[in-house]
Amino acid sequence: MKRRGRGIGCMWYPIGFTVAANPSAATVKVNEDGTATLLTGTVETGQGALTVLAQIAAQALGIATDDVHVVSADTDATPMDTGAIASRTTYVTGNAVRLAAENARTILFEAAADLLRVKPGQLEAKDRKIQVKGYPQRCVDIADIAGHAQTKLGQPPIGTASWNPPTVAMDPETGQGQPFSTYVYATQIAEVDVDDETGEVEIVRIVAAHDCGTAINPMLVEGQVEGGIAMGIGYALQEEILFDDKGRQVNPNLTNYIMPTSLDVPDIDVSIVSNTDPTGPFGAKGVGEPTSVPTAAAILNAIHDAVGVRVHSLPATAEKVLAAIKAKRAAEQRQIAG
Amino acid sequence: MNERVKLQEADRVEAKTPEDLRRADEDLRLPAIAPREQYPIDVRAPEAREQTNAVGQRATRPDNRLQGLGQLKYIADFSFPGMLFARIKRAGIAAARIVRIDTSAAEAMPGVMAVLTGSEIPVNSFGPSYQDQPVLAQDRVFHAGDGVAAVAAVTEQIAEEAVERIVVEYEPLPAVFDPIEAMRDDAVRVHEDGSNIYTSKTIRKGDIEKGFADSYRIFEETFRTQMVEHVPLEPHAAIADWDANGRVTIWSTLGRITLGRADIARTLKMPMSRIRIAGTIVGGNFGGKNEITQEPVLALLSKKTGRPVKGTYSREEEFLATTTRHPFIMDYKTGVTKEGRILARKIRLVLDGGAYCSWSETTLGKACILSSGPYKVENLLVEAFAVYTNKTMTGAMRGFGAPQVCFAYESQMDDIARALDIDPLEIRLRNAFDEGAISPTGQVLHSVVVKESLAKAAERFGWEARTP
Repeated sequence: MKRRGRGIGCMWYPIGFTVAANPSAATVKVNEDGTATLLTGTVETGQGALTVLAQIAAQALGIATDDVHVVSADTDATPMDTGAIASRTTYVTGNAVRLAAENARTILFEAAADLLRVKPGQLEAKDRKIQVKGYPQRCVDIADIAGHAQTKLGQPPIGTASWNPPTVAMDPETGQGQPFSTYVYATQIAEVDVDDETGEVEIVRIVAAHDCGTAINPMLVEGQVEGGIAMGIGYALQEEILFDDKGRQVNPNLTNYIMPTSLDVPDIDVSIVSNTDPTGPFGAKGVGEPTSVPTAAAILNAIHDAVGVRVHSLPATAEKVLAAIKAKRAAEQRQIAG
Repeated sequence: MNERVKLQEADRVEAKTPEDLRRADEDLRLPAIAPREQYPIDVRAPEAREQTNAVGQRATRPDNRLQGLGQLKYIADFSFPGMLFARIKRAGIAAARIVRIDTSAAEAMPGVMAVLTGSEIPVNSFGPSYQDQPVLAQDRVFHAGDGVAAVAAVTEQIAEEAVERIVVEYEPLPAVFDPIEAMRDDAVRVHEDGSNIYTSKTIRKGDIEKGFADSYRIFEETFRTQMVEHVPLEPHAAIADWDANGRVTIWSTLGRITLGRADIARTLKMPMSRIRIAGTIVGGNFGGKNEITQEPVLALLSKKTGRPVKGTYSREEEFLATTTRHPFIMDYKTGVTKEGRILARKIRLVLDGGAYCSWSETTLGKACILSSGPYKVENLLVEAFAVYTNKTMTGAMRGFGAPQVCFAYESQMDDIARALDIDPLEIRLRNAFDEGAISPTGQVLHSVVVKESLAKAAERFGWEARTP
């Protein structure tokens, strides 16, 4: 008989390296036509990081995402970056990009102040224009001002910056310190059906509520959460590298190392918890790794809720769940008999 | 089309060479790249990419169309004139002394352009914390997936066959596979020069003895997790091209190119200015591509042959020869009040690190800090160890130890809730961090929204309180 259960997985996760410096640098070049080119040493691994970085540069310059072309991942051409690791790209590289774009913007402001006869501090970048705060009609196109800065003032609007999250080393005896600059928080709730005759677990749905500070790109956050959950399902129920008694893997292939397919992934309901972190670029933190952290915990708790057995080791394969159900029944029988 | 099919059928009858057979189903295959006439080229950017208030927009990625049309270039799509293909021979034995490597039969094969062994690598070690991993095993094998020799040949098939013809004579050594066993003083040492416990961490906060003494109930459980692979769609792949000026360009799936360049420069013993690493669009990383793997081997094979050399790991190598996620053994002892508030927690973590340290130190550190969950725990002791075994090395993988400890602390949270007759949502709300909470390392936490995330998820789920 199929029995339904529900389980919660709640977690926290840090952004960036543990204490060790993990800086990023970035260069933003505003072109003569008001578009921009961003140079970053990070790598696009499919998560959409380069789009998020383009959005951050665009926001700082008051232009659109599509106006920013990103050049990435070439040690000959792009500045130092610790890389696509530790859920750090939006937060650390993003801060470097924001600062680099602001440095380029400072040059635009200086050039525009000259034309608009105001102080640079009175200006803002918005809608592809540099305008006087509170007087948006007093403005010049970024395209014109970028050209002006370059050809009239001899100062091309290029900004470079780097950023490293502030940390405090941990005491080796007590572990006390400030290992990370910031953390994110999340909850996932799984609903499962467990067949108490076979031990098979079917995931009915998963609800996820993730904090990432400001969501620079909500669609990419949702994508990350869905992907992380798919990975978490494999970790919870199926995946395991097995070894023989000589230390050799016995299932190094996708025939015998079982992973979730699209048919194993249930309906996923993603919410982004409203939050903002003043230390991140436009309030953003990160989301990459945390998405995969609480899934297995939520599923295993749902199994517990459904059939009353605690599986103490991952993955909760059908064999393992069934063995636990049988052990529980045997114990109950003994109790009755005793 | 019909004509062509007929013609092909005629060909098929006469097919004599393997190449004819290979091409026999060509008409049935989908085109790898969409024909030009099938898509417009001057499309407007989607609206979300055109907004000047860029942050918060659901902007699509600029490479989406290229992806859909098969135009995005992965390493598999890269080809250069004269390019060779590399394969690496894997040890297949978990612990051994290498007595002799005979590459003569492989070298004699037509189409084999170069063979490389560990002794030819200028500095044959690497690793982000400790440089305990050889690029190619030289005197000793530490786990079955170690590479022992590499071949560059004109086709992948020839390289594959040549690897088979390399003869390695091993003197088997005692090995240890269980991390608890490996921790014992009399255990077989994975690396001769030190203890199997290669890194340990402690977090101490408050007074756990008092915390347990004050507890209404104490819960003790052990949790275990397994070794898993990242399984990216695209395997580790790279092309190295050592040019006539002595400068090497490496196109690679590496996720951290600037630090990777430093590692490669160290193994090749050459100035970083003479190395260019170009990261390509990567088909999945998840932490598995955070370290250099075959890049120095490809660079040296290119240096030997004067030709670009491409290396692509097989799916089997992805399992055997790249990092995996640490199996954990986690002992949790938790003391709580009658209301389910955590008063004290003692945690012991043992990480099975496999044969090399890789990112174990970071994984251990994060796991320790996170191990008591997003909950207020005044009295805490965490002791954690990373241990060598003669198995596949573990390293960075999405979550750096967090999925393991989350499984443990959240399982125990539900067990406590059940025992005390408290709703699982309620017990978490009673213990969760608030804004300004103090973390296990004594850090004041900001932008904390644990309770908000619990409430949001519960609301979306339609969670109704009932005692478990």
